[in-house]
Amino acid sequence: MMIAMPAIVMVIFGLALSGEVKNIPILVQNLDVGYEAQAGPGVSISVESGADLAEALQGDDSLRVVTGSYEDGVTGVDDGDYFAAVRIPADFSERLYRRMRGEDVDVVVDVYVDGTKPAIRASILGAVGDSLRSLGDGGGLEVAQVLAFGGAEYSGLDVSIPSVMGFVLTFLVLLISLIIINRETAMGTLQRLYTTPLTAFERLLGYVIALLVLGMMMSGVVLLVGVVFFQVTVRGSFTLLFISAFLYALTHVLLAVFLSNFARNELQAVQLAPIIALPSMALSGMLVPVNSLPDYIQPIARLVPLYYGNRVFEGVMLKGYGVGELSGDLLVISGMAAVFLILAAMTVKDRIDA
Amino acid sequence: MGDSSQVGLVIEAESLVKVYRQGGVRAVDGLNLRVRRGEIYAFIGANGSGKTTAINMMTGALAPTSGIIRVLGVEQPRNRHEVASLIGVAPQEYSLYQDLTVDENLEFFAGLNGVEQGLLGERAGELLDILNLRGRRRTPVSELSGGMKRRVSIACALIHDPEIVFFDEATVGVDPVLRQFFWGYFRSLAERGVTIVVTSHVMDEAERADRIGLMRAGRLIEEGTPSELKQRHGVNTVEEVFLKLSGGVTVDG
Ligand SMILES: Nc1ncnc2c1ncn2[C@@H]1O[C@H](COP(=O)(O)OP(=O)(O)OP(=O)(O)O)[C@@H](O)[C@H]1O
Ligand SMILES: [Mg+2]
Repeated sequence: MMIAMPAIVMVIFGLALSGEVKNIPILVQNLDVGYEAQAGPGVSISVESGADLAEALQGDDSLRVVTGSYEDGVTGVDDGDYFAAVRIPADFSERLYRRMRGEDVDVVVDVYVDGTKPAIRASILGAVGDSLRSLGDGGGLEVAQVLAFGGAEYSGLDVSIPSVMGFVLTFLVLLISLIIINRETAMGTLQRLYTTPLTAFERLLGYVIALLVLGMMMSGVVLLVGVVFFQVTVRGSFTLLFISAFLYALTHVLLAVFLSNFARNELQAVQLAPIIALPSMALSGMLVPVNSLPDYIQPIARLVPLYYGNRVFEGVMLKGYGVGELSGDLLVISGMAAVFLILAAMTVKDRIDA
Repeated sequence: MGDSSQVGLVIEAESLVKVYRQGGVRAVDGLNLRVRRGEIYAFIGANGSGKTTAINMMTGALAPTSGIIRVLGVEQPRNRHEVASLIGVAPQEYSLYQDLTVDENLEFFAGLNGVEQGLLGERAGELLDILNLRGRRRTPVSELSGGMKRRVSIACALIHDPEIVFFDEATVGVDPVLRQFFWGYFRSLAERGVTIVVTSHVMDEAERADRIGLMRAGRLIEEGTPSELKQRHGVNTVEEVFLKLSGGVTVDG
């Protein structure tokens, strides 16, 4: 295990982080009607610059372009399905043509973009800007950006707080739970408990309750420090955030109770936490959006609780989501908690050498 | 409960065998044992002879590989919850919460055994007086000396006023004066009808038991009152019996 751990972590991080940011889902609507330009007497050329732009975007590796109506795109961004919606206006070809001829017209493309991931937002705006300039670099080409979720500019700190929550509730909860449960064996108290009327399931419940309180205290501290010292704003409801953190912590406490069966000593217990938590972070979308992961890894990412945890914490804290938008993710997290509870209950020991 | 408790038998083992899954050691190999109510029974035997393994099967902490073990007429470990609160155990390890104080440890194990809050203070005070720990009630266990931890462990085994107590090398590290005193206390418990099973490597301690069982390689090779054993082997001390029969033979040696 001591040798396996760095290898596992390195392989997963390597695979997850090897590529550039790519396959960012965006929606593009091309309203451009084209333009018949009189290039000279009797010579007319027809331009379809909107289609050219759409094609350039399609060809950009960093993006995965879906076409549809801008309104759907905006809704999609608000719901977290797309990172941006792009609208190419009806007179795009005409304006671009006239601009190239030296007229003083602006060529504007509307972009409605998710600002909660600064790196992705920069990639999208960069890609749209590059595609636009590839059509002709006469200046005056503009991307009119509207930020989603109330238009707030998110600082690096703002956007990191949900990730810190996810990290604390994954890594620290696992680590502390595994250590505490292992101490019961190390101190010999487990052997005494086996002789009291306490049942194995009651003992399991005891661990879960105590460790949940600890997990909630830890996430409370993260929030408090964020809100009080760094003035981080939480857009959604604190109640929902509390419930989400509770559910998510529960999942990992139960996972830890189950995993504690596989840790024979404290050293192993301490190593199990990063073995689970580090790949979770790599796969959860916390560092790289899941869409950018290699195709064969994406389904695995969907099995990682932190993937859903991240969506929930970001949803509540940055996007102001309510139960409606998050019910799916919360349901998956609850389902995982149920699975871990069953695994933990099935494996919890009632005696020595069992 | 069965007939056994009426005839005063509180522990009955029949052909008890334990083979550990890890390592496959046959730690207990066909143990037959009967202990009466109010008796002080001492297991002696070399390291690795199976004393702890035998006791763990009696307390319900370990399942036998084969054979039957009944405590207070109830089969262990299948029905251990029926009698768990009537059993007190001081395992070979301290088995205490190091971060908790003496009082907190007592309160915790008392609670698990269903001791009422009202009775707890009185019980705890009484035991801590006997075990000479009164001044340490608010000290975290981690700050106690080895012998003090051992005494707290004994207190935790007795806090719920059990009918049977198992002390696995309970007096290791306890100074001779206190040890002398403990045995006086154990005797008074036995007179009240409490059954006490101890393991010990201290032979003058074993000498104070009602009956001694000598284990070797997982088997009970000799059993009887201290005087019976001495007579049978024509020696003056239990120690000589031990040396004669165990003769340095150990399972792991
Ligand atoms: N949990 C375990 N897993 C595997 N083998 C074990 C386990 N516990 C004890 N054993 C083995 O079972 C045998 C009997 O051990 P046990 O602890 O019962 O001896 P003991 O008489 O209590 O010895 P001591 O006087 O040293 O306390 C030994 O060979 C030991 O190695
Ligand atoms: Mg032992």
